[in-house]
Amino acid sequence: MKVLLSWIRELVDVPESAEEIGKLMSVRGLALEGLEPHGDDVVMDFDVTANRPDCLSMIGIAREIATAYDRPLKMPEERDFSPAGQATIPIAIENPELCGRYAGAVADVKIAPSPDWMQARLTACGIHPISTIVDITNYVLLELGQPMHAFDLHTLGGRAIHVRKAKPGESIKTLDGKTRALNADMLVIADAERAQAIGGVMGGCDSEVTDATTQIVFEAAWFSPASVRTTSKKLGLRTEASMRFERGMDITAPARAIARACALLEQIGAGKATDGIVDVYPNPQPARQIVLERTRISGLLGMPVPDAQVERILAALGFTTAPHGQGWTVTVPGWRIDIKRPVDLIEEIGRHHGFEHLPSTFPGVQQAPASSDPRIARDRRVRTALLGMGYSEAITFAFIEAIAAGPFLGSDAPVALANPLSEKFAVMRPSLLPGLIDAVSHNRRHGRRDVQLFEIGTRFSPRGETRGAAVAWTGLATADHWSGARRDVDFFDVKGAIEQLAAVSLVSLTFAEADVPYLVQSRAATIAVNGTAIGVVGLLDARVGDRRDLPAGDEVYVAEINLDALTAQAPADTLRTTPLPRYPSVVRDLSILVDDALSAETVRGTIRSAAPVTLIQVREFDRYQGKGIPDGKVSLSFRLTFQSPERTLTDEEVQAGMQQIIDALTRDLQALQR
Amino acid sequence: MNPIKTSIGPDQARELFRAELADVRTDAELQALRTRWVGRKGSWVAAFMDALATATPEQKKTFGRGANELKKEVEAAIAEREGVLAAMRRPAHAVDITLPGRAPRLGHRHPLSLIRDEVGAIFTRLGYQVLEGPEIEDDYHNFEALNMPEEHPARDMQDTLYLAEPLKIGAGQPRTLLRTHTSAMQIRHMEKNDPPVRLVAIGPVYRKDNLDLTHTPMFHQVEGLVVGKGVTLADLKGTLAAMAEALFGAGTGVRFRPSFFPYTEPSAEVDIQCIKCKGAGCAMCKRTGWIEILGSGMVHPAVFEAVGYDPNEITGFAFGMGVERVALLKWGVEDIRLFYENDLRFLEQFGL
Repeated sequence: MKVLLSWIRELVDVPESAEEIGKLMSVRGLALEGLEPHGDDVVMDFDVTANRPDCLSMIGIAREIATAYDRPLKMPEERDFSPAGQATIPIAIENPELCGRYAGAVADVKIAPSPDWMQARLTACGIHPISTIVDITNYVLLELGQPMHAFDLHTLGGRAIHVRKAKPGESIKTLDGKTRALNADMLVIADAERAQAIGGVMGGCDSEVTDATTQIVFEAAWFSPASVRTTSKKLGLRTEASMRFERGMDITAPARAIARACALLEQIGAGKATDGIVDVYPNPQPARQIVLERTRISGLLGMPVPDAQVERILAALGFTTAPHGQGWTVTVPGWRIDIKRPVDLIEEIGRHHGFEHLPSTFPGVQQAPASSDPRIARDRRVRTALLGMGYSEAITFAFIEAIAAGPFLGSDAPVALANPLSEKFAVMRPSLLPGLIDAVSHNRRHGRRDVQLFEIGTRFSPRGETRGAAVAWTGLATADHWSGARRDVDFFDVKGAIEQLAAVSLVSLTFAEADVPYLVQSRAATIAVNGTAIGVVGLLDARVGDRRDLPAGDEVYVAEINLDALTAQAPADTLRTTPLPRYPSVVRDLSILVDDALSAETVRGTIRSAAPVTLIQVREFDRYQGKGIPDGKVSLSFRLTFQSPERTLTDEEVQAGMQQIIDALTRDLQALQR
Repeated sequence: MNPIKTSIGPDQARELFRAELADVRTDAELQALRTRWVGRKGSWVAAFMDALATATPEQKKTFGRGANELKKEVEAAIAEREGVLAAMRRPAHAVDITLPGRAPRLGHRHPLSLIRDEVGAIFTRLGYQVLEGPEIEDDYHNFEALNMPEEHPARDMQDTLYLAEPLKIGAGQPRTLLRTHTSAMQIRHMEKNDPPVRLVAIGPVYRKDNLDLTHTPMFHQVEGLVVGKGVTLADLKGTLAAMAEALFGAGTGVRFRPSFFPYTEPSAEVDIQCIKCKGAGCAMCKRTGWIEILGSGMVHPAVFEAVGYDPNEITGFAFGMGVERVALLKWGVEDIRLFYENDLRFLEQFGL
């Protein structure tokens, strides 16, 4: 709200500078947004919060300043209409729920430019001066916050005003020159024949005040916030008036506004009110009363406020107080539509007493704190493990481009946004990988050769949200060091990382070759725990990378797991240690030649099923194809560890076990021992 | 003719030797020095000895002692330097310890994740539980239960992202929107738990804000909620002051400015003392000495009523703070979009 310092000083005696006033008001609830010199004057721009439509006016801002500085507020002069004159224009409200009050007064007028001082004030506040009558309505709007309108009385069909809903097919040409079709929910101000204004939004052209106007009707009314909001939204028409009515206006104000307008009219010599004020108020609302208990104030604020200060603040803001029991009965002024409960009053008292007086204390503890969401500790464990394996943490937007989501949707429909910011943020990610791929692509295009990233975050499907962890790695797998050999990242680097994640979660994984739409065939696997699929690992399909501007030829290995599913399969916290072995283990190496189509899993399985229970570990330690190995064959070397918890194994026992294994490999897999 | 005999005597020669010895750095230089001074032929000492052979008895007496002393000193000094050089020589197994180490790869934490953890740790220390909640919310938990009914003007303050199709997840209303604040978690928690409550909820929130230096359509929030008997606005101030000191350093002051949020009454925006100028006024704080950091207030009675708490029995405070905002201030990041680009040149500036 832009206010003019000189105007404010007319209403409250503040010789302090605009800067000083702004500084104090900023800690009293009216943040100063800007200061602009305007000739000898200053325009102060205050940020008025949504709950304070009463402060969209000079008087509202002045009242706050007067309260903050503890100085009297001087109300602007109003025309005295007592004794009540005779009403000459009948006003009828057909929908009192939409228009709670309607006041009007007829005046003889002379249309001319308004005086310089009035024009200057309007201009400073961003309103274009037009003529005496229009300027007066705008002046009152700024000063008191009450929107007003003036009709040219002679253009009204029949000397009458009907506040009613629009009729089917009715339309109106509004002051901005547009013809607007109305619907039956919209409230209009009509004469005996047709709509002349849209209630609370904008007046109509037909009854517009012109240079030829000699007699007018001033209007000031109270319209229902919801009705004005709906109408203004439907018409796509927001005005100074609608903006105020939407937030809620003072139902006691209309007649005062008319009286003020008539005082100005006579003051500037632009005319004279001819009759009394017509004030139609079908269902008078009693002023709201709230009982405020003294102890509630310090109980909520945590600072004491003396009774005298409570009463001073409330009185300065326009409340009246009367002692009541252990506190007061407080009567709320009409303009404070935001004050409904004792806490609302306590806020007024607190902010004008000054939050700077609040002590720093701590809430007491009544019971032991409850535990945190277990996902937090789990995610931290996974994060720490991945960081330790060299992956840097990425955080990407949860909404992505529809085309980027495509390959990752599976059989699900995308979770799309109705009003996305742009096509780039159209659907909620079904997977963390599209975001990571974009991050890899960004780094590659900015000259980074090796990129190793992970993200822990939420994935979205029509069934809901799951927490996942994903990794992406391209470039060197080895440290870039003066001493050593270099190797590019491959499938097993990323698979190994996932295996380590399983290990820190105390679960073991199985991998199965699979077709995954965004991974290269035969370099892709699904990951499962106890038969439940929890993720995938493999080489990113170049076409997917290409669409995300990844440099051609880049090999990006990726993996993603569902952490919620992993956790569900992880054992409860029932870890029990086993004692260290009391008897030595025996290690035997075994090299065999088998068909290279056989999977390591098959060979390992054959070894395990043929071995005695004393075989505790099987580890592949070499795999060789090439010179000396026939085509289609592969040389595999295993390190087998035997151990018994009960005794030291003899050479013969181990040898017998080895023989069983070799026999099984020969028989089942046609293996040749090397 | 021997030049030595006529040019300098043993005393001057000793000076010369000491100067030459001082310049010796390597074994080879020491060997050359040895040859030049005590070699069998052509050395200084050999020349003095030759000269001695033709000297008068008187000369022999004085010159001879000097020559012999010079020989002894030269031999002793060379032996000593030999020992020093031997001790300096690098053994065969030596490594150049100034070469770079073979560093195991270590990832870098995302700055937002660092702040999230730091804030979580601060409040865990203060006895809060740390919670997370759904990012797709229903209208009730995000707005209505927070005293923002459909027609409430405060909804204008937040431009909400809505789903094209509502999702039916579990019991309750269909989920229609991306949560605009973590305050939705307040409701979910209080619906299921009796007071007292002492929690922080941390996670991403979404608003229809265009990307610029200070806005992203997704950002992270920390929500705090304390409910119990006798909880006051002063308790909120003490708590936030403690948080500010933990996050931004001892002595960081906080200031409450009255504001408006539908779900708190009274409401306050909270400033911290400018971390750059310590309150003196600079460009960062627009000469005010203060920087806005979060919104807060005493939980509105209507919120308590929505979750079945009795506002006559208990009070509570709540606050909501942007994680990005804290990170921007703490580390002097000038463009919020950097947090979502995941450029390793940026990420690698942060530790583990």
